[in-house]
Amino acid sequence: MGVAGPNAVVDVTGQNQYQTLSWRRIVWRRFRRHRMAMAGAILLILMILYTLGGTLFFTEADANFNDTTKMLQPPSLEHPFGTDTVGRDILARTIYGGQISLMIGLSAVIVETVVGVLVGALAGYYGGWIDSLLMRFTEAMFTVPQLFLLLVMARFFSGKVPELQLLGRTFSGSVVVIVGIIGLTSWMYLARIVRADFLSLKEREFIHAAHVIGTPNLAVIVRHILPNTMAPIIVSATLSVASAILSEAYISFLGLGVQPPTATWGNMLDRAYNYVESAPWMWVFPGSLIVLTVLGINFLGDGLRDALDPTTVD
Amino acid sequence: MKQALWLLVVLFMLGGLAACNPEPAATQPPATQPAAAEPVATQPAPAATAVPPQRKVATFAWTQEPDTLNPYYTNMWFSAILHQFYNCWAWEYDDENVTFPRLVTEIPSVDNGGVSEDGLVITMNLRDDIVWSDGTPITAADFIFTYQMVVDPANTVASVYPYDYVASVEGIGDRTVVMTFSEPFSPWESTLWHGLLPKHVLEPVFQSKGSIDEAPWNLAPTVGCGPLDFVKWESGSYVQFVRNPNYWLGASRLDEVFVQIVPDDASQTAALIAGDADLGTFPPLSDVPRLQAAGLEILTINSGYAEGWFFDYRETALPGALDLKVRQAVAMAIDREAINRDLLQGLSVPANTLWDALEGAGYVSPDIVPWTYNPEGAKQLLEEAGWTDTDGDGIREDAAGNKLVLRHGTTTREIRQDVQAVAQQMLRQVGIDLQISNYESGYFFSSYTDGSPCALGELDIMEWSDTTGSFPDPDHYYWLCSELPDEESPWGANYFGCDEVLDELFQRQIVTIDPDERAAIVREITQYIHDQVYWYGIWVDPDYWVVGKRLTGYQFSGITPFYGILEWDIQ
Amino acid sequence: MSRYIIRRLLQAIPLLIIVSVLLFALMRATGDPLATLGGRRQVRSADRERLSRLLGLDKPIGLQYLYWLVGNDWTTIDTDGDGEGDTPGQLSGVLRGDFGTSLVSRGRPAMGIILERIPNTLILMIPAEIIVIAFSLAVGVYSALRQYSLSDQVITAFSFVGYSLPIFFVALVSMTLFAVKFRQWGWPYLPTVGMFDPQVGKTTSQVLQHMVLPILSMTIITIAGYSRFVRSSMLEVIHQDYIRTARAKGLGERTVIYLHALKNASLPLVTIVGLDIPFLLGGAIVTESIFGWPGMGRLFLDHVTRADTPVVMGILMIISVAVVLSQLVTDMVYALLDPRIRYT
Repeated sequence: MGVAGPNAVVDVTGQNQYQTLSWRRIVWRRFRRHRMAMAGAILLILMILYTLGGTLFFTEADANFNDTTKMLQPPSLEHPFGTDTVGRDILARTIYGGQISLMIGLSAVIVETVVGVLVGALAGYYGGWIDSLLMRFTEAMFTVPQLFLLLVMARFFSGKVPELQLLGRTFSGSVVVIVGIIGLTSWMYLARIVRADFLSLKEREFIHAAHVIGTPNLAVIVRHILPNTMAPIIVSATLSVASAILSEAYISFLGLGVQPPTATWGNMLDRAYNYVESAPWMWVFPGSLIVLTVLGINFLGDGLRDALDPTTVD
Repeated sequence: MKQALWLLVVLFMLGGLAACNPEPAATQPPATQPAAAEPVATQPAPAATAVPPQRKVATFAWTQEPDTLNPYYTNMWFSAILHQFYNCWAWEYDDENVTFPRLVTEIPSVDNGGVSEDGLVITMNLRDDIVWSDGTPITAADFIFTYQMVVDPANTVASVYPYDYVASVEGIGDRTVVMTFSEPFSPWESTLWHGLLPKHVLEPVFQSKGSIDEAPWNLAPTVGCGPLDFVKWESGSYVQFVRNPNYWLGASRLDEVFVQIVPDDASQTAALIAGDADLGTFPPLSDVPRLQAAGLEILTINSGYAEGWFFDYRETALPGALDLKVRQAVAMAIDREAINRDLLQGLSVPANTLWDALEGAGYVSPDIVPWTYNPEGAKQLLEEAGWTDTDGDGIREDAAGNKLVLRHGTTTREIRQDVQAVAQQMLRQVGIDLQISNYESGYFFSSYTDGSPCALGELDIMEWSDTTGSFPDPDHYYWLCSELPDEESPWGANYFGCDEVLDELFQRQIVTIDPDERAAIVREITQYIHDQVYWYGIWVDPDYWVVGKRLTGYQFSGITPFYGILEWDIQ
Repeated sequence: MSRYIIRRLLQAIPLLIIVSVLLFALMRATGDPLATLGGRRQVRSADRERLSRLLGLDKPIGLQYLYWLVGNDWTTIDTDGDGEGDTPGQLSGVLRGDFGTSLVSRGRPAMGIILERIPNTLILMIPAEIIVIAFSLAVGVYSALRQYSLSDQVITAFSFVGYSLPIFFVALVSMTLFAVKFRQWGWPYLPTVGMFDPQVGKTTSQVLQHMVLPILSMTIITIAGYSRFVRSSMLEVIHQDYIRTARAKGLGERTVIYLHALKNASLPLVTIVGLDIPFLLGGAIVTESIFGWPGMGRLFLDHVTRADTPVVMGILMIISVAVVLSQLVTDMVYALLDPRIRYT
């Protein structure tokens, strides 16, 4: 049975070592048995395999090789996903673009979630001046349009970031800057949501009980309240992966981050703007890959949430 | 609850659809707005008094909203092209981009005595019948007032060029205007009198406020001198014009024109195909086949613009850019035919000089041999210049081991990114490493102190679309040594370098009044820039117009597109 | 509670000042209003120098901010370029209610331009928000009650397809279909762009017709996010004791779900809606551009690309005030929904 939860009041009285171990085992067992979660995990692994395994068949040069005489060709044997506006192979581009998009999407969400949960939890739990300070800061961040930060950063960082080597490819170091920007400009919703849950949960009986027996604040936050706020955190993280992949394209368009001709799912989708009707293969493939990735993460998240749910009777 | 909601949505959509069908389009008179809402009392729309059985109403789609309607306060193309609706230039340009007189009896020249031998005095004779739309005659006083307003430091006009070259504007009686220059200024014809300000409307404002910056006329020019009268500007939606009953050349065939703001080019295509708009500008090239299939006409009108590569040959450039043979090799390694045929759907052709559009006027050297695609020749040139690939990585090096790298930068427009990708691959084939980058255009063209990569010399090749200094005049100021940007003059436009030969030629042509002599200098300039590969044209960049099926009688100019709006009609 | 509200309002003053400094600095750092003046090429250097001086853009940024905040009518402007001020300034500053005049539509008061667009934007955004909330609640509650059923999975898949598509895609496809194809097929159709047909005028039926497609597009892409939050919060509370108790007491299932569960599940949704409300004023940039809707989003875009400080700062400050107020209201709503929540 769970350590923390409204119907776990009697359990919070100690026996930590044994409880934690069995809790982990329970979570893992629930997760393993969760069909949708396993499907989600498999889907995600497939996505990662697609972007990594695909490199065995195509080189990065293939992904950027253009032949204008073969532009905008519909899917064929030679180009299973068709070609884009300068005759590049869309299949190869989804493979190499996927590496970047998955990397940016996932890491930006980690940044966002960590900051959002941290700010929200501290503000909600401690209240008072900590809450005032953190929430006023959150409001200030809200009022600054992302566009401004991006434009300023684009100027500040353009051509000044060293390149990095990853997966045998060379990236502009500003990919890291992009992850930072997306993460640091999108945590405010999550922070407010987590704070609201904390405001409510910290007044529940089981938390008061934890205080009474002298549980340290950090333990109360991490072990007792946080597991009860997992649901919105997971939803927020899932949704943010899609937003991050899409906003990468928009940010790169302002001159920072992934520069053409390097592909990403986001910029491939963006380039389909004027071809929605005339060349649907330009958006169908990168679009579907994004949807599949997000669905995978969603099912995984659902499973994780169910497994972690302290109120579920096993 | 779920079903209730679905029902609600279905009803909502059906309601919208149903309401749309029996539309009493164009049968109602134009809504004459309450005058109180206008900064200046709107004169009642003349058409509202008598409703003819079939009003001819045209809708033009603009992808950008004009900023102001005062001709001297704007730099926007979408604003400037409206001047032929409600304002007037002293002379305008026809579909061949040739001038014809509008407010004057004839265009001043040395031959007709309008231009003095030394080129310092220009005399204009005004027509007798010209009047403002409220019936007030247009006189020399309006020209003098316009000049005074432009040069008055209290007015923040967009540009005082070329009026800062004019020493005085005087009137002899009502019908003669005399302009005096302190030194000869050859581009006067294509730069002066692009619009006229009504003295009787604006002078009271200037006297009471000390400036015409906040004059209501700037945003609601209800008194004009074009075939159409301004009626209303609904911010973000449309600008409305109706026929000017007092126009001295007769009545326009169109009763009313709405310039509707359609900010997205993909939705402009939808609006044109659906018939919601009769005229559009610059369609996405990918939509051209669809538009043509729907029966719309695509017109390309030469406006002097050409997309090209500007080479930087300042000290800050990489060694490759400073080597003439490398620049020539670049010119031979790019397959411009393929770029035009494929990326531009065959709608344009390679440009040879920035003066291509003026070839008819004799400004382009006949001896120019256009660069043709010849990768083998390019390789040979590079070998001759001592650039060889010694380490076998496919990129050439010079004797000192410097890689043959060129930095190419442009704005974030998608077609430019495509060109970069294609060019990078073509240059790699001859052993040149083209490093490409994109910048948001506000940053690209900012200043030396604000970090513009062009001004700072961080790029060897810069790509954008441009024209001569004041098309169709051949003058240009970009390559002047005085325009080099630095800490002191951060806004200089010369991102390329100081070439003494070129600088002298440009300085000489602007003070040469004799047309033939001047044309000879300009031919020398075009030949020199071509030979030195200081500018390498990628494609001729005309204005694109999409004309709907209902319009007739239309003609476009590349400078004053609506010079013939009087004759436009709809079926 | 009233002391808490007063404290929050007092905190808002320094917050807004700090925010305005930050926004002003960012605004001035991101663009040069004189680079092209909206034209296709750079402005001549002589004109740039002159305009920079006349519009006060050559001053140090701190001084520019000061002029924006308190006005410059106590000092002079150098109009003739001799380095000496000669003409008194005209601005009276934001603190006295003057946001300055636009650099784009030269001479128009910035606040006038903004206020003209606010109704247009709200006409579009408020119905959209209401529809989104209603639908998300319906979809979210429905999927939560049938967790992992086939219909839940289908809804999930569809909402993520909607969420993963860029809005331009949804907007362009719906426009092509309902406005272009329907018309070609001779079916009842919707208009393509604008807020109303200028030839007919701003009538109610016109505006309603033109609203359908933008609202549809915004709804499709927003619903996914909202309904996921509703679904997950519902799942949290559905299994809890008091819901079981309520059911045992014999209340009708629907009443139980809607009254008890929804109330306790609504914190995340209230949070999101509370954060969205101030941005309703800001409009929707992409949707408004594609559908040619004359709202605030387009105004912001048009003026930010021209680096029009007075107008952009005006828009952002209105939104900032709205953010501060909406967050205060949201916190009050929390306390209403969950009486245990207390603020100290």
